[in-house]
Amino acid sequence: MNRQTLLGWSFLSPALMAVVMFFLLPVILTVVFAFTNMSTSTGILGGEYQISESDLRRLPAAGVSNESVEMLAGAGYAVRPETLALFASDFGDERADELDALHGGAVFDDRRAIERALKDLRRDPIRSVRDRKAAAEMFRISILGQRYPTEAAFADAIADIGVPDADRAALTEAAYTGWTFTTQNFELLWELPATWRYAMNSVVYVVLTLAFNVSFGLFLAFSTFYLPTRTAQTFRAIWFLPRILPPVLYVLMWQWLTWDQGFISTILRPFGIEPINWMRHTATHAWTFIVLINGCVGASLGMILFSSSLRAIPETQLYAAQVDGANRWQQVRFVLLPQMRWPILFITSYQTLSLLTSFEYILLATDGGPGRQTEVWALAAYHTALSNYGGNLEYGLGAAYALALVIIGILLSALYLRFFNFRELVAKPRIEQ
Amino acid sequence: MKQMTCALALLAATAATPVLAEDINITVWAGGSNDSDHYRIDNIKIAADILSREAAIRGEELNITVEGKRDFDGWDGFKQAVTLGAEAGNAPNIVVTSHLDIAPWASAGYIVPVEDYIDLDAWPLNNVYSNLMEIAAYDGMQWGVPQDAESRPFFFWKETMEKLGYSAADIDAMAARVQAGEYTLRDMLADAKKAVDMGLVEEGYGFYPRVSNGPDYAQFYQSFGGELMDPDTGKLVLDRTAMTEMYQFFVDAVEAGVTRKNHIGTDWDQWYSEVANGKAAFWHGGTWHYGRYTGKEGNEDFFGTIGFTLIPAGNEAGRANTVTHPLVYLVTDQEEDRAEEIAAQLVSIASEPRLNTLHAIASSHLAIGKAEAALDLYAGDRWASEATEVLLPHANAQPNHPSYGAFSEAMFKGLEAAWSGVQTPEEAVAEIEAQMSATLGDELIIR
Repeated sequence: MNRQTLLGWSFLSPALMAVVMFFLLPVILTVVFAFTNMSTSTGILGGEYQISESDLRRLPAAGVSNESVEMLAGAGYAVRPETLALFASDFGDERADELDALHGGAVFDDRRAIERALKDLRRDPIRSVRDRKAAAEMFRISILGQRYPTEAAFADAIADIGVPDADRAALTEAAYTGWTFTTQNFELLWELPATWRYAMNSVVYVVLTLAFNVSFGLFLAFSTFYLPTRTAQTFRAIWFLPRILPPVLYVLMWQWLTWDQGFISTILRPFGIEPINWMRHTATHAWTFIVLINGCVGASLGMILFSSSLRAIPETQLYAAQVDGANRWQQVRFVLLPQMRWPILFITSYQTLSLLTSFEYILLATDGGPGRQTEVWALAAYHTALSNYGGNLEYGLGAAYALALVIIGILLSALYLRFFNFRELVAKPRIEQ
Repeated sequence: MKQMTCALALLAATAATPVLAEDINITVWAGGSNDSDHYRIDNIKIAADILSREAAIRGEELNITVEGKRDFDGWDGFKQAVTLGAEAGNAPNIVVTSHLDIAPWASAGYIVPVEDYIDLDAWPLNNVYSNLMEIAAYDGMQWGVPQDAESRPFFFWKETMEKLGYSAADIDAMAARVQAGEYTLRDMLADAKKAVDMGLVEEGYGFYPRVSNGPDYAQFYQSFGGELMDPDTGKLVLDRTAMTEMYQFFVDAVEAGVTRKNHIGTDWDQWYSEVANGKAAFWHGGTWHYGRYTGKEGNEDFFGTIGFTLIPAGNEAGRANTVTHPLVYLVTDQEEDRAEEIAAQLVSIASEPRLNTLHAIASSHLAIGKAEAALDLYAGDRWASEATEVLLPHANAQPNHPSYGAFSEAMFKGLEAAWSGVQTPEEAVAEIEAQMSATLGDELIIR
């Protein structure tokens, strides 16, 4: 490798690292997560082995015989010769004898009950809570609710209580608390009626917002193009505000505008129009405002890009057009627009991809309402994976939603590259050939 | 000589340190807490002081430093912080959170049962109401200790009721009539409609429900005879009839003009100021709303203006009810067993009636234990005493089930769809049935 190549790589390496860290790695993780049943309950970094009370009724369906289930379901604590011997070795024969006299042969359902029994010791009571807890553990005969960090420890535990060999594999599988690989997320997505609604919502959102973005961006670019430079810059700066405002603040201003006690309602009241919540009244209202909220942010990017490419067009062409008697509209239509093909295509493709995955303004404005009619695919992914009142976040299912977006995004990018004819774009200008 | 010095030094060292000083840092994270909830953390600090003093009397030196944090970005941000912290091995020692988190967090191994460290039969835990203790238990184990109690009453504006023709005696008897099932949600709807028609309240303000998802909507499901969990099998229950009737009730409220079609998502601040000042005839909220109405919203005569009852029954099958959604102290899994033990002991001490009363009264919550009613601070607070009496005996909680979150989300989505007129109640119930049976599978009983 010569020095120049090395230098090239070293210049590239920050970008490469960024691509790996912020694109490849998240994509790979999304793919992996999408094929798991990962949720808050399963944890992220793996699980342990545990059979709890509520697991018992699921066991027959998991292929564990009833005999084993009954074996697991038995009482938790028993005062028997072998447990007493264990107790005697740590807490003395005298206490063991007294307990045997009081509760010999008794079984207890839970730890509270055995602790109460231990409190009955009078001659030499176990005074500390911690010691009593330790003593109670010695009488445990059930593995219910016990967590075993490794499969081997669990295997030993179920062997000890005599679970038949045939059931051990199924039981171990059922006892695992961590996540496992599965394709059920995709089956679920396919089955759920809401999936199609979210997909349609996304299409509506992207198409409408995109149309607004591009046409309004173009309008702003052309209308400021003919203004004196300083005035044009002021206008552009104003239209750039939505993009630089913090989204929370920006959306809050829209909320003030649209509340039923907000600006629009107040203005319209003297005209006999009943105050309504303009943003949430119906789905049409909601979509209109979502398109406006997102569109005003998106249009500013288009405006900047279009303006700069307009200025790159030699002014002489406009003079020539004027000489030929073309009015402003004809100049725009026949001289300027045809030369704007690339920037328009670029903005269209770039915005499609970013709109597909963006949901923050919808989250802040309507949170998918009214009645989930503005819940787009990306917002559904967020709600599933990261927001749940009941506390059980479904990372796996959320990742499956996200994976669909990743795939669509990659396909569209490939399509755009082909459509743009990327090679032609980066080819040397003919004049240099 | 050298040997002597060594021996002396050793002797001195042994004598000077009869006990090793033990330094323990305890972090407490409290979710969903605002300024008036500071005792969720402060009580742990007071408990740490008491525990250190107890240790000192035993001749041990125990230094506990308590650090609290309660400024989280809503419940979502809090839950993400706790779970990701637990995955990374630096979870806070004590968390104050919804009891619904117990099932998923226990299963993931993020928390340890408090019963591993403290005696449930001893003071002060034997003073805590047993139904509240049960709410902090899951799968036969006591995972946490209730931090506070609350309940979600139905409110009405007394002046509006008077103008509707109710006498003062009628208004006083409302709580009893609702409890007996004599005054139902349908009666309420008729009254609300009358109030709108008579111009006592604006259209859409006859019945003014909660503006976002929450345990409150489970109450209406129960009002129409719905049951959240089957007590025999521990599975969640979707009662189609009850769910359809509940959805229908909200649709009827919209059609009658007493509730706004796009009510969900109304700004909370707007909502509070409206209900606290008589803009709505009927609404429902929580016991902690008392603090907000009389404080920030400036209602100076709460008892003269606002009446409260259980959530009325919806039909014959249902019952008047209220859901309590206590927050609980949970102890997280730590590398050091000692840290878990100290954390559990602190939680136990913080449940002392005096300490808990500080929180209850400061934040307009209810007592967790019987003895609090006898304390001057608690007994002297009219709201706490009356609410405890009218509501708490009839309160039930939502089930601790790992899939309850999915159940609750689906129930609310369906309600929102029916409410906003996107689907009929029947369509909405059919869709959530499909959704729930796909996501919950065997864990769901459909009736």
